[in-house]
Amino acid sequence: LLLLVVLGVAAGLAAQVGLVAWLGGPRAVFAQLAVLGVAAALATVLARNLVHAALGLTAVFFVVACVFVMLEVEFLAVVQVLIYVGAVAVLLMFGIMLTRNIAGDETTRVSRGGMAAGVVLSGLTLVMLVVGVVSQGRDGAGVSWTAPPAVPAGDSRAAGLEGMTRGLGVELMTRWVVGFELAAVLLTAAVVGAIALARPVLERRHAGGPEPAEAVVSSPSGEPAEVAP
Amino acid sequence: VSGGVPLAWYLVFSSTLFAIGLLGVLVRRNAIAVLMAIELMLNAANVNFVAFWRHGLLPAGEGPLTGPTMGVFVITVAAAEVAVGIALVLVCYRKWRVADVDRYDVLRG
Repeated sequence: LLLLVVLGVAAGLAAQVGLVAWLGGPRAVFAQLAVLGVAAALATVLARNLVHAALGLTAVFFVVACVFVMLEVEFLAVVQVLIYVGAVAVLLMFGIMLTRNIAGDETTRVSRGGMAAGVVLSGLTLVMLVVGVVSQGRDGAGVSWTAPPAVPAGDSRAAGLEGMTRGLGVELMTRWVVGFELAAVLLTAAVVGAIALARPVLERRHAGGPEPAEAVVSSPSGEPAEVAP
Repeated sequence: VSGGVPLAWYLVFSSTLFAIGLLGVLVRRNAIAVLMAIELMLNAANVNFVAFWRHGLLPAGEGPLTGPTMGVFVITVAAAEVAVGIALVLVCYRKWRVADVDRYDVLRG
Protein backbone atom coordinates (compact mmCIF):
# COMPACT_ATOMS: atom_id res chain seq x y z
CA LEU A 1 0.00 0.00 0.00
CA LEU A 2 2.83 2.37 0.89
CA LEU A 3 4.50 1.56 -2.40
CA LEU A 4 1.24 2.28 -4.18
CA VAL A 5 0.95 5.68 -2.46
CA VAL A 6 4.54 6.54 -3.32
CA LEU A 7 4.02 5.45 -6.92
CA GLY A 8 0.84 7.52 -7.15
CA VAL A 9 2.53 10.63 -5.78
CA ALA A 10 5.44 10.14 -8.17
CA ALA A 11 3.13 9.70 -11.13
CA GLY A 12 1.20 12.80 -10.14
CA LEU A 13 4.38 14.83 -9.81
CA ALA A 14 5.60 13.60 -13.17
CA ALA A 15 2.29 14.50 -14.77
CA GLN A 16 2.46 17.95 -13.19
CA VAL A 17 5.98 18.54 -14.42
CA GLY A 18 5.05 17.37 -17.90
CA LEU A 19 1.98 19.59 -18.01
CA VAL A 20 3.91 22.62 -16.80
CA ALA A 21 6.66 22.00 -19.34
CA TRP A 22 4.08 21.61 -22.08
CA LEU A 23 1.79 24.57 -21.31
CA GLY A 24 3.75 26.84 -19.02
CA GLY A 25 2.95 27.37 -15.35
CA PRO A 26 -0.19 29.55 -15.33
CA ARG A 27 -1.76 27.74 -18.25
CA ALA A 28 -1.15 24.36 -16.65
CA VAL A 29 -2.80 25.54 -13.42
CA PHE A 30 -5.72 27.02 -15.31
CA ALA A 31 -6.21 23.90 -17.42
CA GLN A 32 -6.43 21.71 -14.34
CA LEU A 33 -8.78 24.16 -12.63
CA ALA A 34 -10.99 24.20 -15.70
CA VAL A 35 -11.15 20.42 -15.92
CA LEU A 36 -11.98 20.22 -12.22
CA GLY A 37 -14.63 22.91 -12.54
CA VAL A 38 -16.31 21.32 -15.54
CA ALA A 39 -16.33 17.92 -13.85
CA ALA A 40 -17.86 19.40 -10.70
CA ALA A 41 -20.44 21.28 -12.76
CA LEU A 42 -21.42 18.09 -14.56
CA ALA A 43 -21.73 16.37 -11.19
CA THR A 44 -23.96 19.22 -10.01
CA VAL A 45 -26.27 18.87 -12.95
CA LEU A 46 -26.35 15.11 -13.34
CA ALA A 47 -26.11 13.76 -9.78
CA ARG A 48 -29.28 11.96 -8.79
CA ASN A 49 -28.72 12.65 -5.12
CA LEU A 50 -29.33 16.33 -4.45
CA VAL A 51 -26.82 16.49 -1.60
CA HIS A 52 -24.12 15.28 -3.98
CA ALA A 53 -25.27 17.93 -6.43
CA ALA A 54 -24.92 20.61 -3.76
CA LEU A 55 -21.41 19.40 -2.92
CA GLY A 56 -20.49 19.57 -6.60
CA LEU A 57 -21.84 23.09 -6.72
CA THR A 58 -19.66 24.04 -3.75
CA ALA A 59 -16.65 22.67 -5.63
CA VAL A 60 -17.59 24.80 -8.64
CA PHE A 61 -17.76 27.86 -6.38
CA PHE A 62 -14.26 27.13 -5.10
CA VAL A 63 -12.92 26.65 -8.63
CA VAL A 64 -14.44 29.96 -9.72
CA ALA A 65 -12.79 31.61 -6.71
CA CYS A 66 -9.47 30.15 -7.86
CA VAL A 67 -10.10 31.54 -11.36
CA PHE A 68 -10.68 34.94 -9.78
CA VAL A 69 -7.33 34.62 -8.04
CA MET A 70 -5.73 33.82 -11.39
CA LEU A 71 -7.31 36.99 -12.76
CA GLU A 72 -5.77 38.89 -9.82
CA VAL A 73 -9.06 39.98 -8.31
CA GLU A 74 -8.46 38.55 -4.88
CA PHE A 75 -11.19 40.57 -3.21
CA LEU A 76 -13.82 39.03 -5.44
CA ALA A 77 -12.39 35.58 -4.70
CA VAL A 78 -12.82 36.20 -0.97
CA VAL A 79 -16.34 37.49 -1.49
CA GLN A 80 -17.10 34.46 -3.64
CA VAL A 81 -16.01 32.05 -0.93
CA LEU A 82 -17.78 33.98 1.83
CA ILE A 83 -21.11 34.44 0.10
CA TYR A 84 -21.41 31.47 -2.22
CA VAL A 85 -19.73 28.78 -0.18
CA GLY A 86 -20.65 30.28 3.18
CA ALA A 87 -24.20 31.36 2.58
CA VAL A 88 -25.69 30.16 -0.69
CA ALA A 89 -24.48 26.57 -0.43
CA VAL A 90 -25.70 26.31 3.17
CA LEU A 91 -29.04 27.81 2.19
CA LEU A 92 -29.38 25.29 -0.62
CA MET A 93 -28.53 22.49 1.79
CA PHE A 94 -31.29 23.67 4.11
CA GLY A 95 -33.65 23.83 1.18
CA ILE A 96 -32.81 20.25 0.19
CA MET A 97 -33.18 19.11 3.78
CA LEU A 98 -36.55 20.77 4.28
CA THR A 99 -38.19 19.70 1.07
CA ARG A 100 -37.63 15.98 0.80
CA ASN A 101 -35.28 13.21 1.66
CA ILE A 102 -33.47 12.80 -1.55
CA ALA A 103 -31.94 9.37 -1.44
CA GLY A 104 -32.65 7.74 -4.74
CA ASP A 105 -35.87 9.38 -5.70
CA GLU A 106 -36.77 9.07 -9.33
CA THR A 107 -38.45 12.39 -9.86
CA THR A 108 -35.38 14.57 -10.16
CA ARG A 109 -34.92 13.91 -13.85
CA VAL A 110 -37.11 14.22 -16.87
CA SER A 111 -37.98 11.63 -19.45
CA ARG A 112 -35.66 10.40 -22.16
CA GLY A 113 -37.08 12.73 -24.77
CA GLY A 114 -36.79 15.76 -22.53
CA MET A 115 -33.25 14.75 -21.64
CA ALA A 116 -32.33 14.50 -25.33
CA ALA A 117 -33.87 17.88 -26.04
CA GLY A 118 -31.96 19.47 -23.15
CA VAL A 119 -28.68 17.92 -24.21
CA VAL A 120 -29.16 19.04 -27.81
CA LEU A 121 -30.11 22.59 -26.82
CA SER A 122 -27.29 23.14 -24.34
CA GLY A 123 -24.80 21.42 -26.67
CA LEU A 124 -25.79 23.77 -29.47
CA THR A 125 -25.37 26.72 -27.10
CA LEU A 126 -21.93 25.50 -26.12
CA VAL A 127 -20.86 25.02 -29.74
CA MET A 128 -22.15 28.47 -30.65
CA LEU A 129 -20.33 30.18 -27.78
CA VAL A 130 -17.04 28.35 -28.30
CA VAL A 131 -17.06 28.87 -32.06
CA GLY A 132 -17.81 32.54 -31.49
CA VAL A 133 -14.94 32.90 -29.02
CA VAL A 134 -12.43 31.08 -31.18
CA SER A 135 -13.34 32.78 -34.45
CA GLN A 136 -13.33 36.19 -32.76
CA GLY A 137 -9.85 35.44 -31.52
CA ARG A 138 -8.82 34.64 -35.07
CA ASP A 139 -10.28 37.87 -36.43
CA GLY A 140 -8.47 39.72 -33.68
CA ALA A 141 -9.63 43.31 -34.10
CA GLY A 142 -8.14 45.38 -31.30
CA VAL A 143 -7.73 42.83 -28.54
CA SER A 144 -5.98 39.54 -29.05
CA TRP A 145 -8.14 36.86 -27.48
CA THR A 146 -5.78 33.96 -27.88
CA ALA A 147 -2.33 35.42 -27.36
CA PRO A 148 -1.24 36.22 -23.83
CA PRO A 149 -2.16 39.82 -23.12
CA ALA A 150 0.45 42.50 -22.90
CA VAL A 151 0.01 44.10 -19.51
CA PRO A 152 -1.08 47.62 -20.35
CA ALA A 153 1.16 50.21 -18.81
CA GLY A 154 -0.40 53.15 -17.07
CA ASP A 155 -4.11 52.50 -17.50
CA SER A 156 -6.46 52.77 -14.58
CA ARG A 157 -6.54 49.03 -13.94
CA ALA A 158 -3.06 49.09 -12.44
CA ALA A 159 -4.28 51.38 -9.67
CA GLY A 160 -7.39 49.27 -9.24
CA LEU A 161 -5.44 46.06 -8.88
CA GLU A 162 -3.06 47.66 -6.42
CA GLY A 163 -5.54 48.42 -3.65
CA MET A 164 -8.60 46.53 -4.70
CA THR A 165 -10.69 46.62 -1.52
CA ARG A 166 -10.19 50.33 -0.99
CA GLY A 167 -10.68 51.08 -4.65
CA LEU A 168 -13.87 49.04 -4.78
CA GLY A 169 -15.25 50.90 -1.77
CA VAL A 170 -14.47 54.26 -3.32
CA GLU A 171 -15.98 53.20 -6.63
CA LEU A 172 -19.15 51.93 -4.98
CA MET A 173 -19.53 55.19 -3.11
CA THR A 174 -18.86 57.48 -6.06
CA ARG A 175 -19.41 56.08 -9.54
CA TRP A 176 -21.84 53.30 -8.67
CA VAL A 177 -23.85 54.86 -5.82
CA VAL A 178 -27.19 54.32 -7.54
CA GLY A 179 -26.49 50.67 -8.16
CA PHE A 180 -25.18 50.29 -4.63
CA GLU A 181 -28.31 51.77 -3.09
CA LEU A 182 -30.51 49.71 -5.38
CA ALA A 183 -28.65 46.57 -4.32
CA ALA A 184 -29.20 47.54 -0.68
CA VAL A 185 -32.93 48.01 -1.27
CA LEU A 186 -33.06 44.73 -3.20
CA LEU A 187 -31.34 42.81 -0.42
CA THR A 188 -33.64 44.29 2.22
CA ALA A 189 -36.70 43.48 0.16
CA ALA A 190 -35.45 39.96 -0.50
CA VAL A 191 -34.78 39.22 3.16
CA VAL A 192 -38.09 40.69 4.29
CA GLY A 193 -39.85 38.79 1.52
CA ALA A 194 -38.19 35.52 2.43
CA ILE A 195 -39.18 35.92 6.08
CA ALA A 196 -42.72 36.91 5.12
CA LEU A 197 -43.00 33.86 2.89
CA ALA A 198 -41.74 31.50 5.54
CA ARG A 199 -43.64 32.98 8.50
CA PRO A 200 -47.40 32.26 8.29
CA VAL A 201 -47.23 28.53 8.85
CA LEU A 202 -45.18 29.00 12.00
CA GLU A 203 -47.75 31.47 13.27
CA ARG A 204 -50.59 29.07 12.56
CA ARG A 205 -48.82 26.24 14.26
CA HIS A 206 -48.19 28.34 17.37
CA ALA A 207 -51.76 29.54 17.47
CA GLY A 208 -53.00 26.00 17.15
CA GLY A 209 -55.56 27.13 14.63
CA PRO A 210 -56.97 25.15 11.73
CA GLU A 211 -54.26 23.53 9.65
CA PRO A 212 -55.67 22.91 6.20
CA ALA A 213 -52.81 21.32 4.30
CA GLU A 214 -50.27 21.06 7.09
CA ALA A 215 -52.13 18.24 8.77
CA VAL A 216 -50.30 15.73 6.61
CA VAL A 217 -46.87 16.89 7.75
CA SER A 218 -45.75 13.38 8.48
CA SER A 219 -47.39 11.01 6.12
CA PRO A 220 -46.54 7.47 7.21
CA SER A 221 -44.39 6.44 4.27
CA GLY A 222 -42.58 9.71 4.03
CA GLU A 223 -43.69 10.01 0.44
CA PRO A 224 -45.20 13.28 -0.69
CA ALA A 225 -48.94 13.01 -0.69
CA GLU A 226 -50.69 13.55 -3.99
CA VAL A 227 -52.86 16.63 -3.95
CA ALA A 228 -55.75 16.75 -6.33
CA PRO A 229 -56.08 20.09 -8.10
CA VAL B 1 -0.21 35.46 -12.66
CA SER B 2 -2.78 36.09 -15.35
CA GLY B 3 -0.17 37.07 -17.89
CA GLY B 4 0.18 33.58 -19.25
CA VAL B 5 -3.44 32.60 -19.76
CA PRO B 6 -5.15 34.07 -22.84
CA LEU B 7 -8.61 35.52 -22.66
CA ALA B 8 -10.10 32.83 -24.88
CA TRP B 9 -9.37 30.16 -22.27
CA TYR B 10 -11.42 31.97 -19.66
CA LEU B 11 -14.21 32.46 -22.18
CA VAL B 12 -14.27 28.81 -23.20
CA PHE B 13 -14.33 27.79 -19.53
CA SER B 14 -17.22 30.10 -18.72
CA SER B 15 -19.07 29.04 -21.88
CA THR B 16 -18.82 25.44 -20.76
CA LEU B 17 -20.07 26.32 -17.28
CA PHE B 18 -22.97 28.24 -18.82
CA ALA B 19 -23.92 25.38 -21.14
CA ILE B 20 -23.84 22.90 -18.27
CA GLY B 21 -26.03 25.22 -16.21
CA LEU B 22 -28.45 25.50 -19.11
CA LEU B 23 -28.51 21.72 -19.37
CA GLY B 24 -29.39 21.55 -15.68
CA VAL B 25 -32.23 24.03 -16.02
CA LEU B 26 -33.65 22.09 -18.94
CA VAL B 27 -33.15 18.58 -17.61
CA ARG B 28 -33.79 18.68 -13.87
CA ARG B 29 -37.27 18.72 -12.41
CA ASN B 30 -36.48 19.39 -8.79
CA ALA B 31 -36.83 23.11 -8.10
CA ILE B 32 -33.71 23.28 -5.94
CA ALA B 33 -31.64 21.54 -8.61
CA VAL B 34 -32.88 24.15 -11.08
CA LEU B 35 -31.80 26.89 -8.65
CA MET B 36 -28.34 25.31 -8.45
CA ALA B 37 -28.06 25.24 -12.24
CA ILE B 38 -29.01 28.92 -12.35
CA GLU B 39 -26.20 29.60 -9.88
CA LEU B 40 -23.81 27.88 -12.30
CA MET B 41 -24.86 30.21 -15.10
CA LEU B 42 -24.50 33.29 -12.88
CA ASN B 43 -20.99 32.21 -11.95
CA ALA B 44 -20.10 31.81 -15.63
CA ALA B 45 -21.32 35.33 -16.30
CA ASN B 46 -19.21 36.59 -13.41
CA VAL B 47 -16.07 34.97 -14.79
CA ASN B 48 -16.80 36.65 -18.11
CA PHE B 49 -17.21 40.08 -16.51
CA VAL B 50 -13.90 39.89 -14.71
CA ALA B 51 -11.97 38.28 -17.59
CA PHE B 52 -13.13 40.88 -20.12
CA TRP B 53 -12.29 43.66 -17.70
CA ARG B 54 -8.85 42.25 -17.01
CA HIS B 55 -7.87 41.56 -20.61
CA GLY B 56 -9.80 44.00 -22.76
CA LEU B 57 -9.23 47.56 -23.82
CA LEU B 58 -10.46 50.24 -21.47
CA PRO B 59 -12.58 53.02 -22.94
CA ALA B 60 -11.55 56.54 -22.04
CA GLY B 61 -13.01 57.76 -18.75
CA GLU B 62 -13.62 54.25 -17.51
CA GLY B 63 -13.29 53.70 -13.78
CA PRO B 64 -10.52 51.53 -12.43
CA LEU B 65 -12.65 48.60 -11.28
CA THR B 66 -15.69 48.17 -13.51
CA GLY B 67 -15.41 44.39 -13.85
CA PRO B 68 -15.12 43.55 -10.15
CA THR B 69 -17.90 46.02 -9.36
CA MET B 70 -20.19 44.19 -11.75
CA GLY B 71 -19.10 40.96 -10.12
CA VAL B 72 -20.08 42.25 -6.69
CA PHE B 73 -23.48 43.30 -8.01
CA VAL B 74 -24.06 39.91 -9.62
CA ILE B 75 -23.15 38.14 -6.38
CA THR B 76 -25.57 40.39 -4.48
CA VAL B 77 -28.42 39.69 -6.85
CA ALA B 78 -27.66 35.97 -6.81
CA ALA B 79 -27.77 35.87 -3.01
CA ALA B 80 -31.11 37.68 -2.95
CA GLU B 81 -32.46 35.40 -5.65
CA VAL B 82 -31.48 32.27 -3.77
CA ALA B 83 -33.03 33.51 -0.53
CA VAL B 84 -36.36 34.30 -2.17
CA GLY B 85 -36.22 31.20 -4.36
CA ILE B 86 -35.68 28.83 -1.47
CA ALA B 87 -38.48 30.50 0.50
CA LEU B 88 -40.83 30.10 -2.46
CA VAL B 89 -39.89 26.46 -2.92
CA LEU B 90 -40.53 25.84 0.78
CA VAL B 91 -43.95 27.47 0.59
CA CYS B 92 -44.88 25.46 -2.50
CA TYR B 93 -43.60 22.28 -0.87
CA ARG B 94 -45.73 22.92 2.21
CA LYS B 95 -48.76 23.50 0.04
CA TRP B 96 -48.46 20.64 -2.45
CA ARG B 97 -45.87 18.32 -0.89
CA VAL B 98 -43.79 18.24 -4.09
CA ALA B 99 -40.61 20.05 -5.09
CA ASP B 100 -40.79 19.42 -8.83
CA VAL B 101 -41.25 22.41 -11.07
CA ASP B 102 -43.50 20.60 -13.54
CA ARG B 103 -45.98 19.72 -10.80
CA TYR B 104 -46.73 23.36 -9.97
CA ASP B 105 -49.46 23.67 -12.57
CA VAL B 106 -52.32 25.45 -10.80
CA LEU B 107 -52.34 28.08 -13.55
CA ARG B 108 -52.93 25.48 -16.26
CA GLY B 109 -56.07 26.32 -18.23
